[in-house]
Amino acid sequence: MRRRNVVRVGAALLAISISMPALTVGAFAQDAPTEITMLTMGNKPTNGRLEAMLEKLNELLIQKANAKLDLFYIEWADWQTQYNVQLLSGDDNVDLIATATDWLYAWENAEKGAFLPLSEEMLKANAPKTWAQVEADGHWDLTKLADGKIYFAPEDNYTQYTNHGFFYRGDWAKEAGFPNGEITKFEDFTKYFEWVKANKPDAYPWDVAGANEAALTGYIQGHTDFQTIQGISAGNYAPFHTTAANPYTVTSWYMDGDALVEAAKLAKQWNDIGVWREDALNYDGDTREELYAGLSGTDQHHTQTFVNDIVNNLSTKQPGSDPKFFYWGQENGNFFKDIFTHGAMAVSAYSKNPEKALQVYDLIRNDKEIYDLFNFGIKDVDYIITADGKMGYPEGYDSSTDGLGTDYWWGRMDEFELPRTTQAPNRAEIIAKLDATAKDYPYSTLIINKQNIDPTLAAMAGVLSEYIPQLQYGKFDDPAAAVAEMRQKLKDVGYEDARASIQADMDAWKAARGL
Amino acid sequence: MSEADSSRGRKSILRQLADSKVLLLMCVPAVIFFIVFNYMPLPGAWIAFTNFNYRDGIFGSPFVGFRNFEFLIKSGQLWTLTRNTILYNLAFIVLGNILQIAIAIMLNEVRLAWFKKVSQAAMFLPFFISSVLVGVIAFNLLNYDTGALNALIKQTGGDPIKIYSTAGAWPLIIIVVHLWQSTGYGSIVYFAAIMGIDRSLYEAATVDGANAWQRIRYVTLPSLKPTFIILVLFALGGIMHGNFGLFWNLVGNNAALFQTTDIIETSVYRMVLSQNNFTTSTAVGLYQSLFGFALVMTANWIVRRINKDYALF
Repeated sequence: MRRRNVVRVGAALLAISISMPALTVGAFAQDAPTEITMLTMGNKPTNGRLEAMLEKLNELLIQKANAKLDLFYIEWADWQTQYNVQLLSGDDNVDLIATATDWLYAWENAEKGAFLPLSEEMLKANAPKTWAQVEADGHWDLTKLADGKIYFAPEDNYTQYTNHGFFYRGDWAKEAGFPNGEITKFEDFTKYFEWVKANKPDAYPWDVAGANEAALTGYIQGHTDFQTIQGISAGNYAPFHTTAANPYTVTSWYMDGDALVEAAKLAKQWNDIGVWREDALNYDGDTREELYAGLSGTDQHHTQTFVNDIVNNLSTKQPGSDPKFFYWGQENGNFFKDIFTHGAMAVSAYSKNPEKALQVYDLIRNDKEIYDLFNFGIKDVDYIITADGKMGYPEGYDSSTDGLGTDYWWGRMDEFELPRTTQAPNRAEIIAKLDATAKDYPYSTLIINKQNIDPTLAAMAGVLSEYIPQLQYGKFDDPAAAVAEMRQKLKDVGYEDARASIQADMDAWKAARGL
Repeated sequence: MSEADSSRGRKSILRQLADSKVLLLMCVPAVIFFIVFNYMPLPGAWIAFTNFNYRDGIFGSPFVGFRNFEFLIKSGQLWTLTRNTILYNLAFIVLGNILQIAIAIMLNEVRLAWFKKVSQAAMFLPFFISSVLVGVIAFNLLNYDTGALNALIKQTGGDPIKIYSTAGAWPLIIIVVHLWQSTGYGSIVYFAAIMGIDRSLYEAATVDGANAWQRIRYVTLPSLKPTFIILVLFALGGIMHGNFGLFWNLVGNNAALFQTTDIIETSVYRMVLSQNNFTTSTAVGLYQSLFGFALVMTANWIVRRINKDYALF
């Protein structure tokens, strides 16, 4: 009997809960704020801080645009697949889509119709501040496909460097015999690695996990004038390049020149020393934490990570470690400023409220109150402002568990960013030094028609993903023979046709600009 | 007369349906499952013949004929993938079934009830360990720097082995792990079949003076033959489908091992993962299905020729 009552009550509750939203929507349809969902990258935080912030944020958004924001996360596990599959699925619950041309397949997805083309009128009416700022800087051209339409708003007003390089320990380098603990040439890392191997038995000289090509690109960038053409990916590889000497001739460092073989030989030497785990390709541990724990002598990522995280964390967790950064191309100045579409925001082609979505984006990007809340969280809870005007964290705050995690990298603005207590003290100096030598990416407006070469790129990706990780980890007994074999296979799957097709686009682009 | 008869006939069909409504109802979930997951996505195979884009959708995207299949030929991997997939499955099927039968017979011969239960449970357990864990366990046993196996070798004065760069070792490792996981579970079916064998056959054999070996050879094994053939036929149906979870977690992205470990599933997965390439991977999937279909039909046809009763259809 009692059980039956419970069932009845449960059924009644279910019926009410199902009908309630419908009733409320019916009654207040006129005023109901529009729900906007933003697809972003990262692991959804579970510490409740995000929800607390969103609650406050939505009060402001309702006031200013009668909209509410929710976040949809593509988590880091298999993010490339998840991101593309999510866009492919045509989910109409997502309105704003975080994207990037150099690491998040923006061009590919724009071509495939995942993004809504944004007309001038639409932008002017719904994102006037964004429109005006990007227009004034002349950057809308960087977001257009061959059809001349705008597909996303670039993060073009935020200074950062995402040029890659080695993070290493100045204290160890000093002991290894480098003056001031500074390593200035890529090959000199051999000496550093040998020293770590001999003197720090618990540590790997460079603990690195999984397939990558850092040891190869690091060498090639510093020893040649090759420059990568972005937006033509074969899997995780960008296989087409030009040289500074011949900037309009399409080539590939995977195919031409001796640098790849030299780099692979150096990688083999490192592998023989035992610089990384013998089974690095199958290892999937957190190597950054290994660096922080003093169990790795080196880590690899970009300037932004170095100034924002590495300096503070490594100095705190390994006092006296004197974190240092060596970036690829440091020897010969062959590295680039960030492109303005390293972060960008698109509107989903399936969004039911594209105008409202743009309004919300315009507020997040340009309204200081909303920007602060969305990026940094609630003042005095998620962050504090120190007496000298820097942004810091409250007592007891632990960045690994207390992070806000909005991961907003799709329209940050220099004028709203404060210096942070956790940033490298010499950040300004580092940036100024990079500014002095970094080159501008020359092909921002070059659009490659990939329709006809997609199958070739896929086949090339298959070949590259087989050889490059093994070359990177020095796994071939004869790197030169392996490179020759790889080059032959790339030719067999149609490298030359793809190159010719890209060359034709390059020629047309060059002619149109009278270069 | 015919009218009355046929109306009775129709009635009887309706009655039959009515009589078995509970059974039919029990079929419904399975039927829905196959419709939703196996039949409804079928038209999507069209993607394999298009240059797919989201805006135009599956049937609006431009038709490109067999261009996506060129990749399979161009990459030169088609042969390796097909060979690996089929050889691994053959090894799994043949060795798996032999081991399962052997274990079922041994369990049947064990007289100590508690020992039978314990050993059955011990063999059953690996089936429930997820392949993610199996991958982690294997890495911790086999890796060069800190693996248990190499630690043992080093302690005894030997040279550690670079297992994760030795492609030749992996067919053995993968087959052993697969058998370790699946044999206990698979032996249940054979054990049940043995239980179903008429006891009087054994009694008769004993009376005729057959010893234990002879009873197995002349009673148990022949009685298991139909079960064996049906299970093998079922398994042949999946011969083009690999155990993705196991292969992916054991080998992952280690290109040094692909030559001997890459199967269609892992290759397709990597293609989508790293190349955002839905058309080519659909093409590979379609090739896999058609090839598998042809294989099943052929195997069934052969069995039909040998003994009609053993064929699936």
